[in-house]
Amino acid sequence: MTNFLGPLTFLLLFTAGLFCPGQSAAEAKYQRSEVSISVPDVVLINQDNEKIPLRSLLQTEESVVIDFVYASCTTICPILSAGYANLQGKLGPENHNILLVSITIDPENDTPAVMKKHLERYQARPGWIFLTGSRADINTVMAAFDAYFPNKMSHQPLNFIRTTEKGKWIRINGMIGGNDLLNEIKKARMQ
Amino acid sequence: MKTMREERKNGMRRWALLVMLLLSFLATGAIAAQAEPELATAERLRLGQRMYQEGILPSGEPMQAYVNGDVPVQGTSFTCVSCHLHSGIGSFEANIAASPVNGRILFQPRKPYIKGFEYVPAYHKYASHFPERPAYTDDTLAELITAGIDPTGRSVVKVMPRYDINDDDIAILIDYLKSLSDQLSPGVSDTEIKFATVIAGEVPEASVEAMITPLQFHISRKNSLALAYKNHPRMARMAYNMIGPEIAGKTFTLSRWLLKGAPDTWRAQLEEYYRAEPVFALLGGITDGDWEPVHRFCEDNRIPDLFPIVDYPVISSSDWYTLYFSRGIRQEGEAGARYLHSMYELFAGQPLVQITRDSRRGHALADGFHESWGNTGHPAVIDIILKEGEPLTPEQLQQIISEHKPAVLVIWDDEALLAAMDGLTVSKDSPKFILASGTYMGEGLWKIPEQLRDMLFVTYPYRLPQDEVRFDPTIKSVLQGKPLDTTDPRIIRQACIIGEVLDDALVKMRGEFYRDYFFDTIGMMADASFPLYERLSFGHGQRYASKGCYIVQLGKGVKPQLERLSEWVTH
Ligand code: HEC
Repeated sequence: MTNFLGPLTFLLLFTAGLFCPGQSAAEAKYQRSEVSISVPDVVLINQDNEKIPLRSLLQTEESVVIDFVYASCTTICPILSAGYANLQGKLGPENHNILLVSITIDPENDTPAVMKKHLERYQARPGWIFLTGSRADINTVMAAFDAYFPNKMSHQPLNFIRTTEKGKWIRINGMIGGNDLLNEIKKARMQ
Repeated sequence: MKTMREERKNGMRRWALLVMLLLSFLATGAIAAQAEPELATAERLRLGQRMYQEGILPSGEPMQAYVNGDVPVQGTSFTCVSCHLHSGIGSFEANIAASPVNGRILFQPRKPYIKGFEYVPAYHKYASHFPERPAYTDDTLAELITAGIDPTGRSVVKVMPRYDINDDDIAILIDYLKSLSDQLSPGVSDTEIKFATVIAGEVPEASVEAMITPLQFHISRKNSLALAYKNHPRMARMAYNMIGPEIAGKTFTLSRWLLKGAPDTWRAQLEEYYRAEPVFALLGGITDGDWEPVHRFCEDNRIPDLFPIVDYPVISSSDWYTLYFSRGIRQEGEAGARYLHSMYELFAGQPLVQITRDSRRGHALADGFHESWGNTGHPAVIDIILKEGEPLTPEQLQQIISEHKPAVLVIWDDEALLAAMDGLTVSKDSPKFILASGTYMGEGLWKIPEQLRDMLFVTYPYRLPQDEVRFDPTIKSVLQGKPLDTTDPRIIRQACIIGEVLDDALVKMRGEFYRDYFFDTIGMMADASFPLYERLSFGHGQRYASKGCYIVQLGKGVKPQLERLSEWVTH
């Protein structure tokens, strides 16, 4: 007589776990929207192991762009990070006035040392910082930007560009080319 | 060859394919004329692998590409392996599917279903993400890699970089793709998948049992499913739908590979076991000594080992074939240093003393501490080493405190440190607190005298016992009536995790039983809470799943609980 309990529980374990990615590879242009964001008052840690109060960091005169990435990410983050490296290259040494902020969504793995290596891989220059922190603080930040991903594998390619109007940001969802990103940043500076 | 940029500006048309063919024709002609000796196959594969995994051209230069249309990127930032993974079976992330790029699949036409699995929902759903296309040829494949045009003329998503690679180098890369995940890995047949677990050295029988029981439970459960799949049509239909025929019908086997004698003979013993029975992967494994020989064996033979139960894992940022639970004992030292860093303002400028027992455990803790502390840039700690066999005395401890006046004292020693601390007289020179290792203190953790509980902080790399009880029912079901406390509860829990992750990964592999895809698949799993560990997290190339360790204190009273002073992970 076969005992069905074993096989059944084996099967039941997987009803929820089937491999189920989202839509197909169809490509859309990036989506742009204006959003209000209240930056939370948290202290994060940068690639040099320094404590960085997020609010004061973002209160700079410079343009600010933020993305959410993690070092062991496969498809999306490499593209986002290549975008930042490209942007820095385009600006040239005479034009430092853009602050690029990458915030990890995998704070457990992304220690300062790991983040530093990531920046080196992309030949990052000063003006691009990578932040980690406690999971609670990172969750708070992700929630404030409406970019909370309970599973890091299902996160979205997002960029946030600060405008000149207090609390107003441009949210870019999707893969954005180099020129488009630069144009969006310029537009946000007028806004 | 024109640069890719110009090509894109002109708009890539189908006739470009002809140009490409012509160019490659000319290029081959040129080579033939020079009559250079062809590179040996092994060397071509090595060079192809370097392009695929490291983004370096045969010339030694980084590969160049464009992503998202106009964003240049170097192969040393990321390359094929970042998206298509080690196995080449591809990845899914954030709705973007990086398709399989192994020769077997590329050189077959792609349908919106997988032949033989048309009615398996998971397979069907997977297949529906990729548009139909005819089989690639070497030429159309070169066209895809350089210009992003697939054989139907479709320009593929811009996430797939367009590479600037010459025809000779492309041919080398394509040779590598043809070799990638070509034959199913050893240890897999139509009817079964073979596994082994390594028991190295003189491991107590109870520990071995604690590991084997849950592993065997998972294997037997799987095998009863395979049996039901064969004999009961209703069960078979259900299994077919839920997990697919490839995995449902297969039985699993688990062999024990016992390594005896001196560790430097283990490698030969492993090779012998492997010759006799090539297994798909190693599950767990346990040792009383060094795991390095087994780690190296796996690395050299490209055999995955899922979660060996070891205190001293090999620490490497590039090795691939062993996935550990954590960084072992040293992780407590690392966590201790990070915790002190997080409150450094409280004692900045004051001395910090680290007292370390001259033992393997003591040194692992101290090494971990040093590494993390070194990264903070704070002044170095004062190190004091205790001789292996001589207990720390109250006088010795008092003397160290009077001499150095440390703001914080770190003591890596067993429960003997309690007796030494008990004799301490409190003075203005007393440290603010003492940090010790919970696993080194062992049962001593629960014997901390009431008056020391306020000042003794302890590293604890597991979920706190009062929270862990919620997993007891799961563990008991695995033990099937055997009492929990006769075997090692920690090892049992670790072995339960191995079983769960194994089942989950094998189902998600959809019959693509390649060793590299096994770890690629685990790398794509979501972070989750498991028995014993508050959180295990995975990711491409991540090889130490638990990153956490609490700093705790023993609470007050006669039946005290551990109280959390830190988060699971601090920076
Ligand atoms: C940043 C991620 C990324 C990198 C890096 C990358 N690819 Fe891709 N690749 C993709 C995605 C996404 C697709 C699916 C495109 C589509 O179908 O629209 C793809 C598709 C392909 C295809 C087409 C498969 C098919 O069945 O049509 C091949 C072949 C391929 N890539 C080879 C490579 C090689 C070789 C490299 C390295 C030289 C590489 N890729 C690097 C993301 C990447």
